[in-house]
Amino acid sequence: MSILSLEFLALAAGVMLVYYLLPLKIRWIALLCGSAAFVALSGWQSAAHLSAVAIVMWGGGLLLQKKKSRLLLALFLILDLGAMAFLKYYPALSGAQWILPLGLSYFTFQSAGYLVDVYRGKTEAQKNPLKAWLFVGYFPQLSQGPISTWKELGNQLLTGHRFEPDGFVSGFQLMLWGFFKKMMIADRLAATTDALLKGGDLPGWFILGGVILYAVRLYADFSGGMDVIRGVSRMLGIELPENFRRPFFSQSVSEYWRRWHITLGAWFRSYLLYPLTTSKAGIALGKAASKAFGKKTGRAVPSALATLLVFLLIGVWHAANWNAVAFGGYFGLVMGASMLLEPVWKLLRTTLNLPKKGWMTPLRLTRTWILILFAQYFAFTLNPAQGLSLLGGTFQNWSFAGFAEKTTEVMAALEWIIAGAGCLIVLIVDLLCEKKIDVCGRLAKTHFFIRWPLLLLLILAIVVFGMYGAGYDGAAFLYTQF
Amino acid sequence: MAEQTASRKKKNALFWLRAVCFAALTVLLLTYANFVLTPKHDYGICSMMNLYRQPKDSVDVLAVGTSLAYAGINTNVLWEEYGIATYDLCSAEQPFWVSYYTIKEALKTQHPRVILLDAKPAIYTRDYSKRGRTILSTFGIKGIENRVGAILACVEKPRDAMGYILGLPEVHSNYARLTADDFAFPPDNGGRGASWKGHIESDAVEHHQKPSLVWNSVRRNMNDREEEYARKIFELGRDEDIEILLIGLPNPDYANDHMYYNALWSVAEEYGVHGLNYNDPGIRFGLRYSSDFADWQHLNVKGSVNFSRKLGADLEMLFDLPDHRGDPYYSSYDECAEQWFEKYPTFESAKWEEHPLPWFEK
Repeated sequence: MSILSLEFLALAAGVMLVYYLLPLKIRWIALLCGSAAFVALSGWQSAAHLSAVAIVMWGGGLLLQKKKSRLLLALFLILDLGAMAFLKYYPALSGAQWILPLGLSYFTFQSAGYLVDVYRGKTEAQKNPLKAWLFVGYFPQLSQGPISTWKELGNQLLTGHRFEPDGFVSGFQLMLWGFFKKMMIADRLAATTDALLKGGDLPGWFILGGVILYAVRLYADFSGGMDVIRGVSRMLGIELPENFRRPFFSQSVSEYWRRWHITLGAWFRSYLLYPLTTSKAGIALGKAASKAFGKKTGRAVPSALATLLVFLLIGVWHAANWNAVAFGGYFGLVMGASMLLEPVWKLLRTTLNLPKKGWMTPLRLTRTWILILFAQYFAFTLNPAQGLSLLGGTFQNWSFAGFAEKTTEVMAALEWIIAGAGCLIVLIVDLLCEKKIDVCGRLAKTHFFIRWPLLLLLILAIVVFGMYGAGYDGAAFLYTQF
Repeated sequence: MAEQTASRKKKNALFWLRAVCFAALTVLLLTYANFVLTPKHDYGICSMMNLYRQPKDSVDVLAVGTSLAYAGINTNVLWEEYGIATYDLCSAEQPFWVSYYTIKEALKTQHPRVILLDAKPAIYTRDYSKRGRTILSTFGIKGIENRVGAILACVEKPRDAMGYILGLPEVHSNYARLTADDFAFPPDNGGRGASWKGHIESDAVEHHQKPSLVWNSVRRNMNDREEEYARKIFELGRDEDIEILLIGLPNPDYANDHMYYNALWSVAEEYGVHGLNYNDPGIRFGLRYSSDFADWQHLNVKGSVNFSRKLGADLEMLFDLPDHRGDPYYSSYDECAEQWFEKYPTFESAKWEEHPLPWFEK
């Protein structure tokens, strides 16, 4: 069930109604029933696998609380992550075909994180299996995350929330905003990616424009979906962790990854990167590298290598193909290299007296955009050869003759205008947020003579200009396939 | 504590009051957006929308069916020459299941003496409506029970119905085709005004030949669902005490339809319903296949005048239909006909004299 569907909205509305009608103590049961219905409607395979993961997590948590055994932890993690790896990668390696459970890696990572947290003593094991099930199966976040820890989500789910009009309205606005980004921008821009994949004799500007628009589309798609999920949760009084913080304003690739898919990055940092760098082997490697390359660079070696490994895994998490390896490996190399070269950058900055802000900001933004765009060539193409071919094509044939024909072949002029207007609105809102202006909060405080027309306009824009309904083969969220 | 609870209750009550107002405004806005974006083409939506604007009980003959009927049954000729108050409540490729709900909806405001049922749907082989525009033609129906009924009858799978019931999922992408006329409420029926009676003329001329076929009584089974709804219409006519007359509109492609029409005629006989098949070579009224058709199926202006003169004469002979000309309650018919004859001044008023229908008694 797509979170854009009427079925989802009806389910969410039903859950909200029952949730706020039930006594505080048992309100979590409304969430449990809603989630069970959502999972059941997603197919028995999803329901069976998610329940199996929940049982392993629940039982594993209780055992690990009683006996802090590394072996036990490893066993449960292998069960948990191994099942995911098998379901995800076996078809790619063997050619077998099956339908992946909805949101497989999101709930698997969440349950694995829970097991590690219980082992570390950071979280109490949940005794009630139904409550444990709800933690992994909470319906709004099931399709594309965010990946939450028990501390972030568990208690919120189980503690009944009173109806708060302000939170409800804020959640509603956030949900609308998500629909706007997904339906008006992301799905409209799908045509540009299709045009690139179709190939043919494409001019350089066309390819570059298409790749930039793919990045914008991906952002509007994923962050839009996340806003819908967070909005629905906020209407229930549940605050999910932020997954996107305006990543295109990042001034470095590492900052970009702290702003893009935040909870995935946080998961890998907590459960893989830090354990690797602080392990005995990591410390020993650091010491050895310090001897060889000097203290500053040497210290960065274990982090750089761990980062490379983490990003390779993030790449492979996206898909079991060489494009994904190239995508992850590229980011790992860029970030690893920047860690190793940090002392050199520092020296350069001091010597040339480069300012931290001012005119350097647009330069850093441009550099980051270029580095990010390079990776996009391998994000949407079907194989590395196609990515390389498009990359090569970007530097050829920059003749703008036939600009109008080429662009209107992809989309009608009016569609370009609508997409452009949508992007502009998102850019303005993101810019305001970047300036620490709470747009949603300010909107909530304005007089309803201003707020209501704005909201009505937003609804009208979504309903009229959104891509859905007749003649539209709904593009699924790009990040539901993980 | 009690104060806090009271304050919370007050805040919540105020919120819900506002929420209800906001929801009402949203529904109003989206309803208007739905109206604006709904294509008000000639293929059917407008004639239903416009029926509500007709004076109550001002239609004596209601024609339902496909585009053959709205192109062929010239309400202006029937009025001007016979004083028969006729309304074409037709839509392109209208199956019997849409006709059924359309009639039910029309009966809320009108009680015609005769329903002319276009026989063309007898040839449709699908038991659902494949083309979206057929389903869109139901958008003019205001009564929710009939609209939902028609849509559910149209769609292949019940889950496909929701988009049509809500409307906007099916029509929202029409924003690129909007014109200023689409915003006008009520719609002006393509410049024809509220007095329009549903007839849509076609000025084109295509040369065709009279269909060549052996006039026999061999039947080919109709689609089960078409038959089911044809029966429902016959039963509805019986229950409401309305005469139903099957009409086979002349069309050059008739050879393919003949056996299906035979099947429909035999079903109709079970209910005592008769029909007039103007493709019958025995019924002559001066129709020229070389000049009276706009395309391979539809009568053009000249053809519709020729045909409607004959139809008017037959209706006059078969039923006790009052002549309302001169009655101020029916002035909209005068307006509509006047407008039409101004547009087509070459067609003078002339009645058909011959009545070769031996099997009917008035």
